[in-house]
Amino acid sequence: MIGRRELFGATAGALVMAQTLKADAAAAAEKLKPYTAAPKGSYLPRGTDGRLARLATLDLESHQDFTLGFRLMHSKALRAASAAAFERVLEREGIDPLTPLTGEQVRQLVETEPGINIASRAWLANQQVTWKTLRDHFHANADAYLSEMEAADKSGPGTLELAPSLDIPTYARHEIHIQPGGYVGDPFAGHIYHYGTNSFYISVIGHNEQDQVHKGSAARLPLPEDGKVKRILDMGCGIGQMSVALKERFPDAEVWGIDVGGPMVRYAHMRARRLGVEVNFAQRLAELSGFPDNYFDLVTSYIMHHELPGEITKKVIDEARRVTRPGGVYYPIDFNSGGTKMPARMMYSRWYDHRWNNEVWSFEYHALNFTNEIGERGFNVVKNAKPALPGFGVRHSIKV
Amino acid sequence: MAIDKNRPTYAVEAIPSDITNSVFLGNPAVDNLLSCVIAMNAEMWATKRRMKVLESLLAKKGISQEMIEGYVPTAAETAEWEKERDRFIELAMGPLANDGFRSIGTGFPKR
Repeated sequence: MIGRRELFGATAGALVMAQTLKADAAAAAEKLKPYTAAPKGSYLPRGTDGRLARLATLDLESHQDFTLGFRLMHSKALRAASAAAFERVLEREGIDPLTPLTGEQVRQLVETEPGINIASRAWLANQQVTWKTLRDHFHANADAYLSEMEAADKSGPGTLELAPSLDIPTYARHEIHIQPGGYVGDPFAGHIYHYGTNSFYISVIGHNEQDQVHKGSAARLPLPEDGKVKRILDMGCGIGQMSVALKERFPDAEVWGIDVGGPMVRYAHMRARRLGVEVNFAQRLAELSGFPDNYFDLVTSYIMHHELPGEITKKVIDEARRVTRPGGVYYPIDFNSGGTKMPARMMYSRWYDHRWNNEVWSFEYHALNFTNEIGERGFNVVKNAKPALPGFGVRHSIKV
Repeated sequence: MAIDKNRPTYAVEAIPSDITNSVFLGNPAVDNLLSCVIAMNAEMWATKRRMKVLESLLAKKGISQEMIEGYVPTAAETAEWEKERDRFIELAMGPLANDGFRSIGTGFPKR
């Protein structure tokens, strides 16, 4: 099982899983489609590396290389030091390390512990360097990047639907992962997210610069029993890595990616166009998708639900049920959930990530038993199914 | 560069995180210093990485690693570099020698 924090620091158990995923990703990488000929209007001053556009300056690339390296170091040395400090605190307080605690209980335990807090502060400071260097660059070169998106907006393959009058819900306006502007508040949210999150995977899952993780997840998604996959929906698609991977797996299917963030779907479309992959991206809410009833054979999402309030997650499941055809598959990929108490160290990771990495809604997500919620909302959840992303929740669900 | 307000960006107002107001280490100045150190290291690595690019390019032009490692500076270069080294160290490490013993509420020792 992987918790949020494990995307930021390896644990011994996760390392075993990481080896599996790395092998899997390597296999997927062989089939990756690189940019072949950049379409008109592309801004690629330093060319491409496979399907990743190289960052536009050597220094910016080096800054990201540093923050990635720091994450690796943090996941080993600083995490170990923090763990040792944790053991001393628990021993001092007479608490068994396996005793389940709430987030608030753990926070009180560690609030003045420098050995733990320095690791937390260092991790956050590194995260801030990641975002600031990227944001500063894209804003300093705003004209070039806006022009590139403008050139792509109305050209294919694929389509882009932006909704400037959409009433963006308050819950979606937070700066998740302390990314400046979050997913909706910066014109270059997609650019910043893409290059900033490349390093998120490194200490556990491996590289994702070539979308290896998304390709692997798309490849593992189960089919409806009748094998028909004509239409696919990726809810909360972000920059469209999963949507593109799905289209590449099902080239004859009509694939849609929807997201609340206008800059996110704009970047998603531009990137899919560069890759020559035909996906329809639209700025829409997952809980109010606007598609006809029973329209899709396969509905998925990639690590979206823990960014939603619990009540919205329930609405999204209802919407997924409405748009999935009978016998169709619903498989939202996200973390395991259903626990409000955990052993102290694990809970500290969750609490700290929630409070200071600004995972505003993650505690609401973990308070739900997401799998049960799906089962109670008109889906049969397949027992003993295989994970689409190893270590994450298994939610192979079939519409009744 | 400010973005032309008439140019659509599809961005809306976000709710900012309060990360820059957080205090993990008991003293916000210490938190800020750690942030500075990490940012400075990012800049330093960017410089070192650029040097590696330069050395690779130089190698392709016939300037090898061995030539770089074995280079003996002239006396004038040595004098100039030492001066630059001392300036760099004084700037970067000089504050370690500050003899701090006055609390911020202390009045002027002499007026």
